[in-house]
Amino acid sequence: MIRYDVIVIGAGPAGLSASIEAAEAGMKVAVFDENTRPGGQLFKQIHKFFGAKEHKAKIRGFRIGEELLAEAEKLQVDVHLNAAVIGIHDFNSIAVVENEQVSFYKAGNLIIATGASENMVPFDGWTLPGVIGAGAAQTMMNLHGVLPGKKVLMVGSGNVGLVVGYQLLQAGVEIAAIIDAAPKIGGYGVHASKVARTGVPFLLSHTILKAEGEEFVTGAAVVEVDSKFQPIKGTEKHFDVDTICMAVGLSPMSQLLRIAGCEMKEMGGLVPACNEYGETSISGIFAAGDVAGIEEASSAMVGGRIAGAASALRDGFIMQGDFEEKYKALKESLNQLRQGMFCKENRGKTDMTATEEGIPLSNSLLEKGYLLEKEIIKFPGVKKKAGVHPIIECTQNIPCNPCQTACKFNCISIGENITALPVVIEDSKCTNCGMCVASCSGQAIFLLNEDSEDGFVSITLPYEFLPYPKKGVKGIALDRSGNRVCEAEIIGLRTAEAFDHTALLTMKVPSEFAMSARFFTL
Amino acid sequence: MAEYLDRSSDIGKLVAMPDDDMIICRCEEITKGEIRKAIHDGMWTMTEIKRYTRAGMGLCQGQTCSRIIKGMIAKELGVLPLSIDDNTARVPVRPVEVRVYGKGIN
Amino acid sequence: MSNQCADVVIAGGGVMGNATAYYLRKKGCSVIVLEEEMLGNGGSSRNGGGVRQSGRDNRELPLAIYGIGNIWPHLSEELGVDIEYHQAGNIKFAKDERGVEFYKKVVEQNLKKGLELRMLNQAETREICPLVSDEIIASCYCPSDGHANALMTTLAFYKRARELGARFITGEKVLSVKLHKGRAKGVITSRGNVYEGDKIIITAGYESRAILNSVHIDVPMRRKLIEVIIIEMQPKIFPMMITIPDYDGGGYGHQTDHGSFVFGGHIPLENYLRPEEKEVTQLITTASNCNQLVSYFPYFKDAKVIRSWSGWTDLCQDEVPVIGNIDEVPGLLTACGFTGHGFGISPAVAACLSELAVDKEPSVDISGLSYSRFIM
Repeated sequence: MIRYDVIVIGAGPAGLSASIEAAEAGMKVAVFDENTRPGGQLFKQIHKFFGAKEHKAKIRGFRIGEELLAEAEKLQVDVHLNAAVIGIHDFNSIAVVENEQVSFYKAGNLIIATGASENMVPFDGWTLPGVIGAGAAQTMMNLHGVLPGKKVLMVGSGNVGLVVGYQLLQAGVEIAAIIDAAPKIGGYGVHASKVARTGVPFLLSHTILKAEGEEFVTGAAVVEVDSKFQPIKGTEKHFDVDTICMAVGLSPMSQLLRIAGCEMKEMGGLVPACNEYGETSISGIFAAGDVAGIEEASSAMVGGRIAGAASALRDGFIMQGDFEEKYKALKESLNQLRQGMFCKENRGKTDMTATEEGIPLSNSLLEKGYLLEKEIIKFPGVKKKAGVHPIIECTQNIPCNPCQTACKFNCISIGENITALPVVIEDSKCTNCGMCVASCSGQAIFLLNEDSEDGFVSITLPYEFLPYPKKGVKGIALDRSGNRVCEAEIIGLRTAEAFDHTALLTMKVPSEFAMSARFFTL
Repeated sequence: MAEYLDRSSDIGKLVAMPDDDMIICRCEEITKGEIRKAIHDGMWTMTEIKRYTRAGMGLCQGQTCSRIIKGMIAKELGVLPLSIDDNTARVPVRPVEVRVYGKGIN
Repeated sequence: MSNQCADVVIAGGGVMGNATAYYLRKKGCSVIVLEEEMLGNGGSSRNGGGVRQSGRDNRELPLAIYGIGNIWPHLSEELGVDIEYHQAGNIKFAKDERGVEFYKKVVEQNLKKGLELRMLNQAETREICPLVSDEIIASCYCPSDGHANALMTTLAFYKRARELGARFITGEKVLSVKLHKGRAKGVITSRGNVYEGDKIIITAGYESRAILNSVHIDVPMRRKLIEVIIIEMQPKIFPMMITIPDYDGGGYGHQTDHGSFVFGGHIPLENYLRPEEKEVTQLITTASNCNQLVSYFPYFKDAKVIRSWSGWTDLCQDEVPVIGNIDEVPGLLTACGFTGHGFGISPAVAACLSELAVDKEPSVDISGLSYSRFIM
């Protein structure tokens, strides 16, 4: 039986990060993952990540996966793929199925980073083919190149529902609606906005009643619910859809931890009781990432690093002082990610009526997915200026700051506090380089030129749909809610390596639509 | 030790519901009605329900239905889902062919 | 702290305790059953489900005969739950002459006890159990043996007893027996609660030993871990219980009505586990069980193992249980030390305990199983 200093179970963001940290400390490390590809969920995350540079902000998830894997391989971490860990037994020994046989391994430290699986809610017809998890839809599209359906109803307006909804649109799928039983959108406003401006309706306080169809989904019935989540008679609506995507939360895949006998606690799913370093009640068994408590990939990476460093300390690969220094920095990074309106303390709060800056928060954004024109002009990223200038429709205090570093001309400032709203600096000079537009993971930055031509303005918007409209093409400008506002002509299309697949589309619209036209369609 | 539960506490009569025929455990095709009946037969823990109805006893070991069943027990007993223990996770957490497993000690 | 009373207080909500509660309710006694964990947490739901008469010690054989003759056949109907009892036989395989000789003796011994057992040659064996390995040259067959679903039986007794008004409390660990003027009069739990009864019955598996110790009774037994694998649902394979002889590594199994196959074997380290060992499967046991199963039934090689579990058996010094009144302490009864073969006789044991609890002569002579056999 081969013995490693560390065995990491799960090659997702947490697991790979843990393995890198442990290997950097000189430990002999193996990572086991049951999938064919490493990276966990990262390889289907085709969107750009939020956060600061150290959290790999504005990099697309799958690229982060590639980076982590390359780093792990450089450090000679043994990455075992198609290798399902089926059991944990006494003294950190594990049973693994690989190459058509079960093998046993042993480790000084086990880091369990098995992630989470999708929740389901049962309703009439929920077992029909065509009712799938949103994560499953994302796997089909982004890993296997298979469309899950042609017309989708998305159930759940958290970030998973919003992000996958957007990616379905990118893949050419029609989204009938995004529904949520809660009265407000659960995910980031910027994610909601980029979906809303394409014309997808949000139905809040709505729940799914039924998946219709005999052999497979042919439609969906939804109904409005009251404040106690009880259906309101007479509000039933029907959608012709072939797919119902469920984005109703995740549950930690904690079986291995339970088998090992780790003490568990209930925290929106069963998670191990861990100390601040991710060590469970059993010395030498750590947990990191979603299995230790559902968060997102950025904090999973930090959590993985902490567990990796703690295991190195435990077996004498690093000194106490070095560990403490490392831990302090990692903890700070984690704290950054856990700030803002969507942090744990604020989760489920419906009484947040203003931003940290005191700007009244719009109900429109939270109820419909978009802001009204009269609301957006109150934000510090939206200022009327001569010539080309950025309009930053970033309205929530989320931990993210790539726009600040993207602008080499100091037009944009967020400051020390990563959750602060971006401010457009009054006397700065925009060069129309477009880096801010492409680097905003929330696609919330536009360039507006109100001096372009008499009676017209040009609006540059981030665009991630193929095929790109060609220069000179005439089409329709849509507003933040996806409603048609006016005719528009494409007068520019910029792509660049630095934009990382976010094209900058410039359209010409009549001046009166300068603050309403935000999307383009043919 | 398990939480104190007096199994004679009154949880009311089992009332049929229109969606009792809805499948909850997909692996073993166990319906909501079967699980509700089990609760009223006295099965108040996830493990007892698993053993009595087979819900959560299939290939996935209840990864999807456990959460739903917990909610159902909580509703019938009038307690918080948090207070209900999960059923036991078991080796192997993924199904493995007998011949493949056996090679482990050849 | 609260005081609660019943005619009979039972410590241990396994199949013995639950079934005893059921029979006591039928007699009109009030009953409280106290269980530390959930109902059926111990050996009751961690056994192979065998219901056999063959191969039993003379002292416990009458219980098996009584149960199979009088209780098991109509138990599903009686409890209102299908407990999947099938009197479909038990077949023990021999791979070599040593096995044949061994089983010839078994047949001889059992025939003396009046049981219908016979040797089958290879062709006869394959006729009733076609999937068996070519290596099997003979078998020993007892058609009156069978199996039932242990999980369902345990919970069905509980369900019916509860319906009849027995009170079950889980999350109550019985620590000690409380005496009153030298008689057992109640139990004290770890929560500090006292439950009083005219009769106190301890049916708590191995944990019975510690409870009985509180009144200076000691049943000589130890724990031994057993492990079982569950094979995914199969078409109907064979109806009987199968047995692999101990000298060839041992093993037992049957198919449930659902189609899954239950197979238990001996584990290489069972006698050497650390005393603080938890009830968890050991690293190599599942693999060992898989190999044992395939060596007797190559048919299973491509089927999937979907689960394994382990459980403690309470091995009594002379390999038969202690059942009945404990004369030293009036009012105190026990049924423990079943040594891994208690499930098949559980309804009969419970029926007898319920009779003893109301000071009646038990339907079966269990005098040979009395605790007094250990007193010099």
